Amino acid sequence: MKVSLNHLKRYVDINVSADVLAEKMPLAGFEIESIEKQGEGIKSVVAAKILKITPHENSDHLQICQMDVGKDAPVQIVTGAQNISEGDYVPAALDDSYLPGGVHIVSGKLRGVESCGMLCSGGELGLTEADYEGAEVHGILILKGEPVPGTDIKEVLGLNDTIIDFSITSNRPDAGCFLGIAKEISVVLDTEFKAPKTAYKTIGGDINDYISVSVENGDLCPRYMGRVVKNLRIAPSPDWMQKAIISAGMRPINNIVDITNFVMLETGQPMHAFNYNDLKNKQIIVRNAREGEKIVTLDGSEFNLTADMLVIADVQNPSCLAGIMGGKESEIEADTTDLFLEAAKFRRDNIRHTSHALGIHTESCARFQKGTDINNVEYAMERALSLIYELDAGDIIDGFADIHGTLPENRIIKTTTDKVLELIGVDVPKDVMVSILNKLGLNTTLDGNEMTVSVPSIRDDVEGRADLAEEIMRIYGYSHIKGRPMRGEVTRGKKLPERLKADKIKNLLCAAGLREIATYSFINPAAADLLNLKEDDERRNMIKIINPLGDEYSALRTQLVWSMLSVISTNISRKTEAARFFEISKRFFGELPLKSQPDEIPTLSIGIYGEDEDFFTLKGIIEAVMKLCGAHTEYKRSDEPYLHPGRQAAVYANNTIAGTFGEVHPAVAEKFGIDARVYVAEIKLDVLYSINRRKLIYKPLPKFPAVERDFALITDIETPVGDLEKAITSGGGRLLEKIKLFDIYTGSQIPAGKKSVAFSVWLRSHEGTLTEEQTEAVCAKIIEKLQKTGSELRK
Amino acid sequence: MKEQLEAIKKAAERAANEALDEKQIEEIRVRFLGKKGELTALLKQMGSLSAEERPKMGQLVNEAKEKVEAMIAERRAGLKQKAVELKLKAETIDITLPEKQVNSGGLHPLSIVTNDLIDIFQSMGFDVLDGPEVETDHYNFECLNVPEDHPARDMQDTFYLADKILLRTQTSAAQIRTMENRKPPIKIICPGRVFRADEVDATHSPVFHQLEGLVVDKGVTMCDLMGVLEQFAHEIYGKDVNVRFRPSFFPFTEPSVEVDISCTECGGKGCRVCKGEGWIEILGAGMVHPNVLRSCGIDPDVYSGFAFGIGIDRITTTRYKISDIRLLFENDKRFLEQF
Repeated sequence: MKVSLNHLKRYVDINVSADVLAEKMPLAGFEIESIEKQGEGIKSVVAAKILKITPHENSDHLQICQMDVGKDAPVQIVTGAQNISEGDYVPAALDDSYLPGGVHIVSGKLRGVESCGMLCSGGELGLTEADYEGAEVHGILILKGEPVPGTDIKEVLGLNDTIIDFSITSNRPDAGCFLGIAKEISVVLDTEFKAPKTAYKTIGGDINDYISVSVENGDLCPRYMGRVVKNLRIAPSPDWMQKAIISAGMRPINNIVDITNFVMLETGQPMHAFNYNDLKNKQIIVRNAREGEKIVTLDGSEFNLTADMLVIADVQNPSCLAGIMGGKESEIEADTTDLFLEAAKFRRDNIRHTSHALGIHTESCARFQKGTDINNVEYAMERALSLIYELDAGDIIDGFADIHGTLPENRIIKTTTDKVLELIGVDVPKDVMVSILNKLGLNTTLDGNEMTVSVPSIRDDVEGRADLAEEIMRIYGYSHIKGRPMRGEVTRGKKLPERLKADKIKNLLCAAGLREIATYSFINPAAADLLNLKEDDERRNMIKIINPLGDEYSALRTQLVWSMLSVISTNISRKTEAARFFEISKRFFGELPLKSQPDEIPTLSIGIYGEDEDFFTLKGIIEAVMKLCGAHTEYKRSDEPYLHPGRQAAVYANNTIAGTFGEVHPAVAEKFGIDARVYVAEIKLDVLYSINRRKLIYKPLPKFPAVERDFALITDIETPVGDLEKAITSGGGRLLEKIKLFDIYTGSQIPAGKKSVAFSVWLRSHEGTLTEEQTEAVCAKIIEKLQKTGSELRK
Repeated sequence: MKEQLEAIKKAAERAANEALDEKQIEEIRVRFLGKKGELTALLKQMGSLSAEERPKMGQLVNEAKEKVEAMIAERRAGLKQKAVELKLKAETIDITLPEKQVNSGGLHPLSIVTNDLIDIFQSMGFDVLDGPEVETDHYNFECLNVPEDHPARDMQDTFYLADKILLRTQTSAAQIRTMENRKPPIKIICPGRVFRADEVDATHSPVFHQLEGLVVDKGVTMCDLMGVLEQFAHEIYGKDVNVRFRPSFFPFTEPSVEVDISCTECGGKGCRVCKGEGWIEILGAGMVHPNVLRSCGIDPDVYSGFAFGIGIDRITTTRYKISDIRLLFENDKRFLEQF
């Protein structure tokens, strides 16, 4: 909320500089968004009178001016402007002067003629038309009146104000107005606060002879107040009011409109003025809009209304979108003679809904949305009438319309000083507590330790002792709070088992040379197509975000591969030759349409590429993760649509499928702009987390030697090596220690359709050195099992 | 014979000293000590000596033999050492040649910072919990004292998935789930991913990370909150930083405070980093609102508590002076490798 410091001084004594104020207010809960010191940056610019103008010999547009700048002798300044005449008063920047933005003006020659400064336009002084009439005229700013030459231009232009933009938290709508912030300042500075008195005279009459007001929906409009003012004398509002309005970022229009806006800025209560003569049948009806009803608002836009929106209507049509914007038809114009003045309370959620639905955001609806005080309606109305009277802007008719239910009374909080202080842990003296609360308008009495606080409805946010504690501390000062070390039993905190396991997996992957990545949880739903997912693939059922930032971020991911491939694509396009990445994140599955929270499946995604990478390096990484989690693994062929049909596998952990991995299908890679072989894996961590790892017990190192035997086999070319290993494992039984594949060969000496596979097998007993007979017996068993796979020993 | 013996010794010494390699040494050994060697021949001549002279002479010859053996052994060792030295010299390498790369991986900077934070709070006795990323309106707003028509809902642009189902806008939702499931004393943190409908730019991301802290017990005060946050700030930002509370507003805490630290760049004098204020805002905190305690079945007249929410991404970008938050989610390997 922007507010003029000069204007605030009408309500509160501000005995410190703007800078000091800006340091103090944030410590009381009001952050400063910005401070704008008018005329800041202007130095050595004075009012000057043009004594004589002569043409420049070497230029057809430059003119040479002899200027009275308040010194003994005139000063010569060359200008390019054409809108000046001898006798004009203008701003002159002298030698070694400064303009806003750090512009430094020094004497110099312009096409050979000495110029001891510069004549300034309004723009060059940082002024707009709102600051000074004529400021935006093309050319030099012509000053009004006859200022004494040499007077500082800031004084002449009245540039002595400071505009402070206070940030108001959403629990304090009451402070979002001139009076509200002035009151806070008075408490912080401990100075006097003066709310303007209201006083006016009516010309008699009776409002009931002029208008009948009815409220059809008292739920959406808990209070509606109206007055009639006749014989309007529309004119510009006074300078002080215009300045206050401009400083708050609004534009002055005329005295009546300005008064309604000013009262809103001052009290926080929006007002609306209707052209009385445009109200048909002299009726005001607060009602829901009729479905499809139309209104043309002040700004000329037409809106179709729905039945949940509230309007102020005459007997026929809506005249105003309640609390949001007036109708064009009943607008106050220069020739308006009579007005109906409204101050009301509308329900904030309804205003919010209508404003969002129609896309209209006004100063008025912003205030209603934040919440206004039903008891403030009357003061605002009285204040507006006082200003109409004071400015002689019209004649006030006696009597008022005021429709409302039971008005809220002050909330009474009964507590004790101890109860308030026990939240803070600071001993604030009792009298200080009481004094702070009273200054804030929270009427407090003390009886021993018993506190009774009477909270007016404008401070609806104060509900109990916690709020009182905050009110006291923000004024008393949070600097009184001294840190206290944690008390009680000191223990080290615990992590959930899932987090512990995830940490271990991450450590392992880092040690294996993988870099962790972080990607968004929402993706483009087109990812399903990019990955060639089948029509009935459950990963196509992505949960959609109702209000996404755009298509690319509109669906919760059901796989992490798309994100991984996007990251790899970025890296490849940036000429990174090789990389190993992993991510642990969640995938989301829920029944659509979503009725409850979806399943969040913790998932590990791996992506590797580069010269040294292949399917088996990825398999090695996966095997290491599985082993870490205590899983017994098995690999089977899979049919993941985004993977190479011949180079992919499903990995099973203790007979449960844990994921798939393999080389990315070239057609899919191409869609990501990838022309390299990339290997990806996706592993369901919930499966791995659920494995209960056996307690680790050390195995004694072998005491007896191992026997190594080689087996060279001829087998069908289609037979998986894994099957042969299984056969060896089963044949070797307890004595089998290790199998190592050392050769696979197809070619000239091998029959077509066959391959040669060679293993080294280590046998060892823990009971004694294996005898020749024992070894031969085991080998025979292994050979027997191998033969069952259709393999033969190579001769 | 004596003269002969001396001559042989001298000849052997000369020969040994002149030997240039193992082969020559062996030749010398054979020439003097071998079966047909000169000393052996001399021994064979002993038969011509008298019985008195024989033992004397025998002793002399044996002494000469030992001496020659020692000379040969010494020369052999010397030559071997020399050979090793030569070999090592020949094997000298240029140590400035590039190393063979060990492909070391690493955690994402957000994980590094999260782990640091977890360590700090774990050592203070906070349990580490997780909560769902998709939340209900009930946990994300209602129980946190943000009723439907409350303007505080405007403060957070929420991604909705269905009526009353949303992507959590804050880890605070985990507070409620914790208080429903645990009885005081409660001391937990919940780090995690949160979502807000912020357009992406250098300082905003629709996906970011928070760490929520919650303590509920009898007699918990703002001084305890200050104590915990001071320790956190000292560990993360350095021993010298000062911590201050500034009043603020969050619907789920009362009193609510913004927590500032003295600027780590200028020490509080005012600089570009702190925009001349001398303080940097680091997190929001407060005493758990009585309504929140009550909605979780905890009696606010018996128990009190505090909560705080730390922006993990913010600490990460500040710590590593990362000027654009988008870098965290772009995952350029050259960026990731720096951590």
